[in-house]
Amino acid sequence: MTAFVEALGLAMMLAGTAFLVVAAIGVWRLPDLLSRLHVLTKADTAGVALIAIGAAIHVQDVAATLSLALCTLLVAVSGATTGHLIARDQFNPSVADAEEGA
Amino acid sequence: MLPVFDVVLAAAILVSAALALWVRDRIAAVSGFLVTGLLVSLSWLRLGAPDVALAEAAIGAGLTGALLLRSAHRIPCAPSKALPPSLWCAAGALAIAISGAIVWTVTSFGAAPVYPSLVADNLPESGAQNPVTAVLLNFRAWDTLLEIAVLFVALTVVIMVAPARPRTAPLGPLVQPFARVLLPLTVLIGGHLLWQGGHAPGGAFQAGAVLAGGAIALGLSGVIGSKLTRQNGLALLAIAGLAIFALAALAAEVLTGALLGYPAGEAKTWIIAIESALTLSIAATLFLLFFGPAERH
Amino acid sequence: MISEYAFLATGAGLVGLALLRLATSADLLMRVLGLNVLAVGIAMLLLVSGMGASGTDAVPQAFVLTGIVVLVGVTAVLLALAERIAEDRDE
Repeated sequence: MTAFVEALGLAMMLAGTAFLVVAAIGVWRLPDLLSRLHVLTKADTAGVALIAIGAAIHVQDVAATLSLALCTLLVAVSGATTGHLIARDQFNPSVADAEEGA
Repeated sequence: MLPVFDVVLAAAILVSAALALWVRDRIAAVSGFLVTGLLVSLSWLRLGAPDVALAEAAIGAGLTGALLLRSAHRIPCAPSKALPPSLWCAAGALAIAISGAIVWTVTSFGAAPVYPSLVADNLPESGAQNPVTAVLLNFRAWDTLLEIAVLFVALTVVIMVAPARPRTAPLGPLVQPFARVLLPLTVLIGGHLLWQGGHAPGGAFQAGAVLAGGAIALGLSGVIGSKLTRQNGLALLAIAGLAIFALAALAAEVLTGALLGYPAGEAKTWIIAIESALTLSIAATLFLLFFGPAERH
Repeated sequence: MISEYAFLATGAGLVGLALLRLATSADLLMRVLGLNVLAVGIAMLLLVSGMGASGTDAVPQAFVLTGIVVLVGVTAVLLALAERIAEDRDE
């Protein structure tokens, strides 16, 4: 049983790492901002979530699991928001460019 | 396995630092600096210093990165004159010589460390189980008092120089829900780090930095009204930390005859009181360092 | 052991890179950035030299923590000054 659980946790973490590697390759190879954002925000959130689940399976401790859940939530929320803001700025450049021109 | 990880990490730090320092685009340079800071904080975890790693991630990478990003477009690029190759070679040789001298000094330095046993022996009386907190707020509380004074001086200079405030603009429909998630979590994590500092990695600086980071994000998104950032209350809060710390030092002097020598058995209460005041004050100071004090006349 | 040397080399390397950049650049923002990298390198050296068999020495850790907080104050002041210099040149 424990061996199975450990293997499960390890598999989750490997899958998460794979997601992040794919995201990194995507950011490197994809041609424009929007497609890069697309791969970054999704794969990032999924990768961190999978790694957190894997780690939670490994430690089997309520406090640590709560912290991991918090990390995942923060990464998901901030990743989605910053992705949205960067894309928004691409389409209606407002503040940054006004400041640049000033 | 772990040495391999460490070597890869060390190489990644050097590469990202070199990128941050030499890339032409400024946003890219600041991003490179952020990545370097996060990798460095990871390496400090590996060096057995989680308190410092937390502070580096929150302050060194996060807040410094935000400050640099704020100024990236306001400071014009210097006209890049090509330096003569001889100067380049001289600078390179000097840098390599200094790095080499550092490596040689550290590796040839063989004296036995003095502090660990001193810290370990006196830890039970310090009022904190986390040795770093014990050093910061008990054994060498003087240093920390002066550090807060330095932050206060920095804030004073920034108020006098009065850089232009970052402009905020409406950021669309996602910002409100973001703020609703972020604000309570910032307060929760800040409080957790503050309380945890007594027995585990954490403390006033990390907690203050997290609070300040959350406040800056909300201030930039316009959720915290510009009214709040314009009030003097925030500046008062920033000063309060230094005032309370100095008062505590004087009170301890009266009570025990030693500056910052807490009365025996009550050290924990003193440390928690000082740390709570410091957390709020550090958060207010860092926030004001980013936003500037008030509208310029 | 290998890790210790790797991080020692990183600290020294960061110091060298930052010094080289500081010596060859006239750009104010890049100088502030270089100063930050220099400080990170020095902090890394302090932490590496504080490593021991029974964990990392708490005193250098406290020094580094103090240094990080002082550095953010210095960075804010330098950037504010640099912004004012830029404004005055414009006028």
